[in-house]
Amino acid sequence: MSPRLSRVAAILMATTAGFAASAQDAVTIVLSEELENVEPCMASKSNIGRVILQNVSETLTELVPGSGLQPRLAESWEDMGGGTWRFHLRKDVTFSDGTAFDPGDVVFSLARNKSDKFVCEIGAKYYGGMELSAKVVGDSTIDITSDPAQPILPLLMSTLTVLPSEANPDAFVDLPVGTGPYTFDEYNRGENIKLSARDDYWGGAPTVKTATYVFRSESAVRAAMVAAGEADIAPNIALQDATDPATDYSYPNSETVYMRLDTQTAPLDDVRVRQALNLAVDKEAFVGTILAPGTLLATGMTPPSTIGYNHDLQPYPYDLEKAKALLEEARADGVPVDTEILVIGRLENFANVTETMEALTAMWQDAGFNVNLQMVETAEWNEYYSKPFVTGKGPIIVEAQHDNANGDPVFSMFFKYACDGAQSGVCDTKLDERIAAATAATGDQREGLWEDTFAYVFNDLVADVFLWHMVGFTRVNERLDFQPTIRTNSELQLSQIEFK
Amino acid sequence: MISFLGKRAVASAVSLIGLIVLVFFLSRLTGDPTNLYLPVDASLESRARFREINGLDDPLIVQFFRYAGDIIRLDFGVSVRRGEPAIDAVLRAFEWTLWLAVITMTLVTAAAILVGALAAFRVGGVFDRIATFFSLIGASAPDFWIAIVAIVVFSVTFGWVPTSGTGTVMHWILPVAVLFIRPFGLILQVVRGSMISTLSSAYVKTARAKGVKNRPIIFVHALRNAMLPVITVIGDQAAALLNGAVVVETIFGFPGVGKLMIDSILQRDFTVVLAAIFVTAVAIFLMNILIDILYAVLDPRIRY
Repeated sequence: MSPRLSRVAAILMATTAGFAASAQDAVTIVLSEELENVEPCMASKSNIGRVILQNVSETLTELVPGSGLQPRLAESWEDMGGGTWRFHLRKDVTFSDGTAFDPGDVVFSLARNKSDKFVCEIGAKYYGGMELSAKVVGDSTIDITSDPAQPILPLLMSTLTVLPSEANPDAFVDLPVGTGPYTFDEYNRGENIKLSARDDYWGGAPTVKTATYVFRSESAVRAAMVAAGEADIAPNIALQDATDPATDYSYPNSETVYMRLDTQTAPLDDVRVRQALNLAVDKEAFVGTILAPGTLLATGMTPPSTIGYNHDLQPYPYDLEKAKALLEEARADGVPVDTEILVIGRLENFANVTETMEALTAMWQDAGFNVNLQMVETAEWNEYYSKPFVTGKGPIIVEAQHDNANGDPVFSMFFKYACDGAQSGVCDTKLDERIAAATAATGDQREGLWEDTFAYVFNDLVADVFLWHMVGFTRVNERLDFQPTIRTNSELQLSQIEFK
Repeated sequence: MISFLGKRAVASAVSLIGLIVLVFFLSRLTGDPTNLYLPVDASLESRARFREINGLDDPLIVQFFRYAGDIIRLDFGVSVRRGEPAIDAVLRAFEWTLWLAVITMTLVTAAAILVGALAAFRVGGVFDRIATFFSLIGASAPDFWIAIVAIVVFSVTFGWVPTSGTGTVMHWILPVAVLFIRPFGLILQVVRGSMISTLSSAYVKTARAKGVKNRPIIFVHALRNAMLPVITVIGDQAAALLNGAVVVETIFGFPGVGKLMIDSILQRDFTVVLAAIFVTAVAIFLMNILIDILYAVLDPRIRY
């Protein structure tokens, strides 16, 4: 080899050294899309949450799978009555810019979620329909009041990312500052995001010292990056790419797939027709074929780990003959069961959604339903899914996937089933009363009331066709000691990662 | 020439204005982006606030004239999705696409001209058959499939190059290689066809009769005359790359303008869509001017 060729080869070898392996205390995480922003008040979006939530920005409380609600920036809390909860905050906590954390930062962060200059996802998603106000009552004590009263206010505070009161109140921040164990170092748009561990974090020092987030929209590429040693964690890879049992973890991802029925329009206003729709679907046939093994049959809107989930409910069995018989019975009573029903599916909603919807509608056609499937993109789907609903198109069934990783049905049930719920296909005063009662209750009573409400929706109203509680796949490099959980759908705490 | 360039600039500006107007109204036909940006549980109050903040609550014609006024000042507005000036996002992405296009087209042009000219010299020979076989495969194989296979083979199995991303020279190898294949096959075939025609012309036969050697016949006499149709095809291929190599950018995580444009269309980020169309249209206009000038350089009979 000539000297010139040798030099070229040496340069090329040097440039390749960086792409294969990360340092022992550094991790690379490959996300499915570039982050549109890094604003903490948008951290309820999956990928923003995976970077920001509890890594950079912390919350007052934290929902821990298996342990329930745990302290984070708040050490303890108590119900003061009248919708007010008192939170006792940790002392000696500082933000990554060195400023001290105090109750004023919580007041500021709450107000910022309702800014009239921009719309925060967290505020819009969790604090709708209530007025939240905060009052500083001591150096490290704050009262937060909700109108109407929210018994789960401490749980709601697990969603509030706290920013320093010096942050821009009128615009998204580009360089978030938080109290978390990591400093947000830089965002190279289109390329990567870098975090590094803080020396002055109030909690224990994390093992991972630096983290780099990169973005690849192709699941096959994300999986290949972990296989090639270029990345350590690839959340949300597709079923067909999860081929290595040594690195690929499946876990309940908190998503529930269901068919929302328009129970106000014939023939869907007849309970026998709705029962027939449930009985005509062979839900188990999908699992392990076009849906991932481990997918659970659903009987309710939230995953089984949610409090108040009714574990006694059994999925409707696949019984085509009974479905046909119920349809005939309804027909004999004058129900227009031959009316065409529009079935709306959402493209790209989950892996193999189109195939799933085609199989589902074929099953309904076998039972004698006159169904017409339309797969539409997200924005058009939203017009069918949220009120005001599309009118003039006859009875409509909408396929939807609902995410509730927050541990309480209140984040789902009002929106999906109350008369005023934005996505509710039913309006039943008894159900409204049940939801209101369960929302206002606490402890065991709350759990019991939610169980009853789930049973009422499933058995009495037959409000929807519940299909599956989904599973997700994450590929984890074998050098890591890290187990994805249901929370991996919305956050990825670097401080929980260890090396083998 | 100056007069020609002036006329082309005016014609292009008119086209550009028409394009912007058309895209503005067509993109709005896709609907209100509010539901895409807010969670499905967002209240009606939040939705109304979002529309007001982003000027979506005004009548469409009001939105258009406001946009037209801004664009005269080269203010393309702020990206709803990214919260930054749309033109900043586009120019940043366009730089990546431009480099990808320049590197790829330089390699493609050199290789296709060389191989195409040699293949045309002995039509039906072994070299010609091999070149034709591989160029046809290259021109017809889907980018997506080639890219995934290349990653599995060269990155995962052999570990020779990174799977994707940016940062080192090695990161460019797979994207450029995958982008290279299709235009290489296409341009090679055009060079070959044009050269076969040129090599059978009278002046080449005369040169041969006078004892001129093969190399100067191919590369000095015939190639220059065979280049006019080739340049047209090169221009087309380069324009396609400037519009963004969406598949390659998506798979290899290259933050180019093609992926940005597709993402923005899907997300109804109208300001970015319009800024991206403006920037790529201007680039293609400039490239077409360059091609016109090249025509005149290669063929002295062409005068503007």
